[in-house]
Amino acid sequence: MLCEKCGKKEATFYYKENVNGVEKSYTLCSDCAAEMQKNGVISGTSMGADPFGQLQKLFSEDKLFGSLFNTGLKQPEARETPKCPLCGSTFAVLAKNGKVGCPGCYEVFEAELIPSIRRIHGRSTHTGKTPARFREQNERKQKIAAMEKELKDSIASENYERAAELRDQLRNLRGNDAQ
Amino acid sequence: MKTTNWYTIQGNENDVVVSTRVRLARNLQKYPFAPHMTEGQAAEICALAREVYPEADGWEYTDFGGLTTAERRSYAEKHLVSREFAESQYKGGLLSKNSVHIMVLEEDHLRLQSIYPGFALEEAYRDVSSADELLDSRAEIAYNEKFGYLTHCPTNLGTGMRASVMLFLPACSKAHLIRGFEEQLGKIGLTIRGMTGEGSRAEGRLFQISNQITLGVTEEETIHKLSGIVEQIVKQERELRGILCKGKRDENLVRNQVRRAYGTLMYATLLQTEEMVHLYEEIRLGASLGMIENLNPVRVDEMLFSCMPNTLAASEECKTPEERDEVRAKKAREILTRE
Ligand SMILES: [Zn+2]
Ligand SMILES: [Zn+2]
Repeated sequence: MLCEKCGKKEATFYYKENVNGVEKSYTLCSDCAAEMQKNGVISGTSMGADPFGQLQKLFSEDKLFGSLFNTGLKQPEARETPKCPLCGSTFAVLAKNGKVGCPGCYEVFEAELIPSIRRIHGRSTHTGKTPARFREQNERKQKIAAMEKELKDSIASENYERAAELRDQLRNLRGNDAQ
Repeated sequence: MKTTNWYTIQGNENDVVVSTRVRLARNLQKYPFAPHMTEGQAAEICALAREVYPEADGWEYTDFGGLTTAERRSYAEKHLVSREFAESQYKGGLLSKNSVHIMVLEEDHLRLQSIYPGFALEEAYRDVSSADELLDSRAEIAYNEKFGYLTHCPTNLGTGMRASVMLFLPACSKAHLIRGFEEQLGKIGLTIRGMTGEGSRAEGRLFQISNQITLGVTEEETIHKLSGIVEQIVKQERELRGILCKGKRDENLVRNQVRRAYGTLMYATLLQTEEMVHLYEEIRLGASLGMIENLNPVRVDEMLFSCMPNTLAASEECKTPEERDEVRAKKAREILTRE
């Protein structure tokens, strides 16, 4: 995500404020965040020679700043920091870069990443295109869901013949799943 | 470059829409991202990409390691690669065929992009999607059911798709509507940003609208939403242009400004980039309104993209900035007056 002020640099800070019930939010690069804070557009203590350090500090004091990867320092069940087996990254490295090390990181650090992902996109589950190797699996899942719904409806409308049929078909489909 | 430059072709709704791009971020399952990658792994990814998109099928490969800085930046000026890719230290390359350009070793292993002149979201998505199918049939693309296509930056998760439309909005800009657009678009997961006028978004007249959210929405939903918004803004811009030129007096004001800009372009000996972009914005409006004989918006866009500093430096003999300004003035005139 690019900084919304300069549109050039990568945004690493997210700032949100609520003034008289009106919510305002900014996604900024460190330079623009420092500048806006200096100009008093956004609140916070004055910036020192090391703007990045100051902002980090604000965030750790649980003020309004947080990096895009801020999952809240007060995470209670902070687990043993694992390392991604493929790229060797730890979550601390991910948080510092704002980017993951390899595709596998998304599995290893799923729990830590979900809050930031939800903040960026407003959601955390993919809908849309899938690679071919997932397509068949997906279709079967959707088919099972549709049949389960029809089965319920059939029972509700006392169409037991259809319900029996569906039950058999479902058993077959699920059987494939187990293999 | 063998492929025809997109900005020399007439597109749909081109009085308002300059170009349309759809980009997909794709990565290979078993490889880390660039900062953690060995040289061997980088070479493997390049080799695989060239196998999936072979020369025998009409794909042209440009090794970015073998280009000058100006040449690399020229690709970015034409919107064929990202700015980051043009400046990258990693030795990747670009695969091109018709509307599709694939960056190999950008921050994602592959970035597939289709670019069209004018308004062409459906076409651009169709082309980039079929390039994606090719990759899918030959390689294991990084994907999981929760987050969709896995990307280096979490902002691209899900579809990995960024669709963007570049719009020329002199009337909306003059009417101070851009800030309002910004707010409305933000609410529905879209964003608008200025392409000209350093930092100050309100000043320029060229804007880009794109989707910001990629997770939890389908490709079709995003394309559909963006299409609808662009159609509305195009309609609005045309209405406002009508108002801008309503009555003899107002029309003369616009015509005066447009033709003075054209006059400058016809007679300038030295032309700096900034001035060229400013004059471009003036005469593009004039060309769209038919105020300059035999000049259409495509030709004006061709002038803009051909006269950008690195594109000039890469294609013409000019060493110093002064030489470049002289060449730019000549080139702009040549393009505008060409039969
Ligand atoms: Zn910035
Ligand atoms: Zn990893």
